[in-house]
Amino acid sequence: MTDAISISNAQLRFGETVALDGVSLSIRRGTCFGIVGESGSGKTTLMRAILGLQRLDHGEIRILCNPLVHSRAALKQRAGFIQPIFQDPAASLSPRSRIRTLMNEVGTVLREPHAATRERLGVILNRLGLPPGVIDKYPHEISGGQARRVAIARALLMKPSILIADEPTAGLDVSVQGDLLNLLQDIRRSDNITLVVISHNLAIVRLIAENAVVMRAGKVVEGGEIGSLFGSPQEVYTRDLLAAWPSIRAANTKR
Amino acid sequence: MSGFFATLKRIGSERDGRLGLAFTFAILVFALIRPLVSPDPNAIDIKARFAAPGLAHLLGTDNLGRDLAARTSVGTRYALTLAVMIVVISSIIGSLIGIVAGIAGGWVDRAVTAVFDIVNAFPPLILAFALIALYGKGSATFVLLVTVVFIPQFGRMARARAQTLRNLSFIEAERMLAVHPVTIVVRHYLPNVAGPIIVLASMNLPVVIAFEASLSFLGFGVQPPKSSLGTLIKDGFVSINQSWWPTVAAALVLAIATLGATLLGEALRRIIDPKSTGAR
Repeated sequence: MTDAISISNAQLRFGETVALDGVSLSIRRGTCFGIVGESGSGKTTLMRAILGLQRLDHGEIRILCNPLVHSRAALKQRAGFIQPIFQDPAASLSPRSRIRTLMNEVGTVLREPHAATRERLGVILNRLGLPPGVIDKYPHEISGGQARRVAIARALLMKPSILIADEPTAGLDVSVQGDLLNLLQDIRRSDNITLVVISHNLAIVRLIAENAVVMRAGKVVEGGEIGSLFGSPQEVYTRDLLAAWPSIRAANTKR
Repeated sequence: MSGFFATLKRIGSERDGRLGLAFTFAILVFALIRPLVSPDPNAIDIKARFAAPGLAHLLGTDNLGRDLAARTSVGTRYALTLAVMIVVISSIIGSLIGIVAGIAGGWVDRAVTAVFDIVNAFPPLILAFALIALYGKGSATFVLLVTVVFIPQFGRMARARAQTLRNLSFIEAERMLAVHPVTIVVRHYLPNVAGPIIVLASMNLPVVIAFEASLSFLGFGVQPPKSSLGTLIKDGFVSINQSWWPTVAAALVLAIATLGATLLGEALRRIIDPKSTGAR
């Protein structure tokens, strides 16, 4: 199976700070991949590099086997393959545009008639459990959970084969978190999308991903299949992360 | 439109805003309606020269017996038209240049900022004299000149806003969707830059009105027999020994116009941009 994303020896510094320090990884098509790490570990920088929003100092990123090029033509082509879901989805919707306008923009990019966009959007909204009336609203008029689903709907409208979600559950309450993860998993399976989930939350990655890497200070500390990674972590840092998390698990087992 | 009335209501809810609204409204009525009903501003009536204000002549007459109310209202209309035109043109051009510089960064940004600095380095009046020497007197020169002087102010503000917006998720989301750059500028940058630009524009209105008056006062603005607030003050000044009315009448209208626009601009700033403090 080919790789959806492959990164070799990605290096990036911001002045004195090393943001990415020789990151190499490959993500197989159609799988769900987790990138775990504490704040400042370089997860989001890595995501921005994959999206082409951040140039690397050294190293190479390939998306569906094509090297990432920083040009408008390449960006246009890439937009059809890979779409992000940003950390703060409410902030990723232009505040002074109605959601309808934002959705129609996608149709314009795809050179698709508005009617066809509307039809596809109707299906997507229904699937994400959003009321059809949501498109007449401004981003500030909908809830955080709805905004996240609208952002997902917009990304899906682009028919991508790779979705990268940065902290997809941040700021949502626990029940909504579960729904959203199930939704992402469903979409991935039915549309054969490669899903990359970036999170500091081990529980989420463990629940949804098949493979994952643990990042720290711009380096990949450990990576592999999710069961072995979290079942028998080889690195001290991964063990520390796991140890910091299971206070809930411990509380549950006591019951 | 409801937003417009809501804004008016909020301006009216504070004392300064109410004063600004009242002054501006009075000036608008004076400038727009008064010329329609008043006598010919250029009609000479030597018998009635230097008449004091009264029923026949609301603000009295000047050295040739011309009705001062008519002349100041025409002058005010002229000043307002120029001011609005200049502020609208320079805010649109300035915003677009500033946004492009803010998005592009690099040498484009440095070049634009350098040009802004050069324009700002000249005192406006000196620049005005230079341009008038080059292109001659007249309204077109004046509009061109003041527009050029004001573009950097709008440009700088738009540039700063664009630099902030550029790194926000929603702009990056647009870029990731490969939305056309022109669409991104027009639909996503402009509306988010507009607030502070509108405030700056409203605060620059009185500045342009006063600037026009000073140039005309110095004889570089409107040419006789047309009247502007500046020429009226100057003409009155020449004959101030015979009658102080012409000067006072024009100066009073100028003061009310600039004060009204300033108060209104300040009130608008407090509503649209509550975080900023003090003047520009």
